[in-house]
Amino acid sequence: MDHMAEIRDFLKKLLSSRGDRQPFTDTSSFFLSGRLGSVDAVELVVFLEEQFEIDFSETGFDQSQIDSIEAITSLLQSEKVG
Amino acid sequence: MSQDGGRLANFRLIPRIDTYPRVVAFAQTAAGKIVLLALFGLGLAYSRGQTWWALTLWLVLTTFLPDRRRMLVTIGTLFFTIPVFFLGFTHRQLYIVVLLGSVLVLGATLFWSAAHWPRSWYGRRPVFFFLSGFAVLILFASSIPETTRYYHLVWDFTAILSLYIWFIAYSLLDRKAPDCDPFGLQLGTYLPFWGSTNTPLPKGAAYLRRIEARDAGQLAVTQLKGLKLLVWSILISLFAHLFAQCVHGYLRIPTFAQALSLSVSRTPLPWYTCWASLIAGFFEIIMDFSVWGHRFVACCRMAGFNALRNTYRPLSSRTVAEFFNRFYYYYKELLVDVFFYPTFLRYFKRNGKLRLVAAIFAAACFGNAFYHFVRDLGFIQKLGLVRALVGYQVFVFYCVALATAISISRLRHRGPAPTGFIRGKLWPSFSVGVFYCLLDIFGSTERNYPLTEHFRFLAHLFNVNL
Repeated sequence: MDHMAEIRDFLKKLLSSRGDRQPFTDTSSFFLSGRLGSVDAVELVVFLEEQFEIDFSETGFDQSQIDSIEAITSLLQSEKVG
Repeated sequence: MSQDGGRLANFRLIPRIDTYPRVVAFAQTAAGKIVLLALFGLGLAYSRGQTWWALTLWLVLTTFLPDRRRMLVTIGTLFFTIPVFFLGFTHRQLYIVVLLGSVLVLGATLFWSAAHWPRSWYGRRPVFFFLSGFAVLILFASSIPETTRYYHLVWDFTAILSLYIWFIAYSLLDRKAPDCDPFGLQLGTYLPFWGSTNTPLPKGAAYLRRIEARDAGQLAVTQLKGLKLLVWSILISLFAHLFAQCVHGYLRIPTFAQALSLSVSRTPLPWYTCWASLIAGFFEIIMDFSVWGHRFVACCRMAGFNALRNTYRPLSSRTVAEFFNRFYYYYKELLVDVFFYPTFLRYFKRNGKLRLVAAIFAAACFGNAFYHFVRDLGFIQKLGLVRALVGYQVFVFYCVALATAISISRLRHRGPAPTGFIRGKLWPSFSVGVFYCLLDIFGSTERNYPLTEHFRFLAHLFNVNL
């Protein structure tokens, strides 16, 4: 499974656990739109740390970095993952 | 479902005008904008008092000059802030403006230094150093004898800085963003003209950049949502007024403060009346937060920023953590951004549960206690640092209990969520409501009574008299 698909799948499960089964695209906003909250951001951060070995304590963290699949992909690219 | 049943389920007290294509299209025309602004201005005249006209005037400018919106926000914020300082202080006006200017210059220097020396000890953790420095300033101010010449100067500077520390903290957090705003635009978020408490509403410049309306269509939808929210605020304030008249007037139920005071003086009200006072106070706090929070966010939306609501259906929360998020969203966000994430991302990475609990305690316990302690500087000045700290025991207990409950709420293993209205929605929401209601007994930062008196009141609710 490629990175995008993995992230998409994880976010789908996360949204689903919040009772949100609305579709989303790669540019859909998750946090700024209020679909996910800061607690969900924690789960996403842990997922990215474990799957892609990103260390946010080094890079700094801002919710907008993980607000959409597109933003996450660009974060991974800047960290040269994969 | 029958047609009538479907209509009932879809009924909304305030229609979703932001989803009606013809209304959205009309709101993009000059006439539509004027109608929207006029309706909003009327709402402000009812709910905002004397400053409604100036605020409406500024909203006219941000509506018709969208390309200069951020600059207008900064000018408006300075324009609205300075008169507030004139009204709030008794010293000479120039003196206050100089102090305010010094605070803003300090903020600019901290921001500039963090951006220019990102690898220095300060540049790596500017928020930590800034907040630690502020704590040291309070220590220094408390150590100055009242008879000293500089006593008032230091305390006045500290008081003005205390209004801005969380705004400056958000600017410092923004320093690393590739699209970081210059300090001039950051200033627009410092006690912004649409209204804010010490807690930045809605967050800092980074958030404002991302929620700004990009075109006429987005602006129309955002402003229609703003108008709806202002109407909500007015309706809730009307209901709150009726509620207070009914509960405290007709039913003669005393306020929670009165009930607690009677308990302290050993003439407690019957336990059921204490429950009534507590529950009424709980609802009144929620309505109060909704009224001003909706009003601030409504004005922010009208200025072209699609901010989330500050209070959003807290009574429907099914967990303690969810209530904390829904009750005062921007305060929770502040604690998360300044205390939770830095702790979570740095410490105990190998132990998931400990990592989460440490971060929750950093935010909901330490951050919460720190925020209120430095907000209420008057107590430190009046009582002295040690007595102010000792008197703070009640709120510290509140913070510890809250952080413990949120930790349990987050760590508890959850099976499949119960289904059905009663087990799935009503019971969890009721339990959360009762928890926060009881926690409110300890939610005072006033330092009036020791912790034992609050526990005495709690016991009396269950007809146990200590």
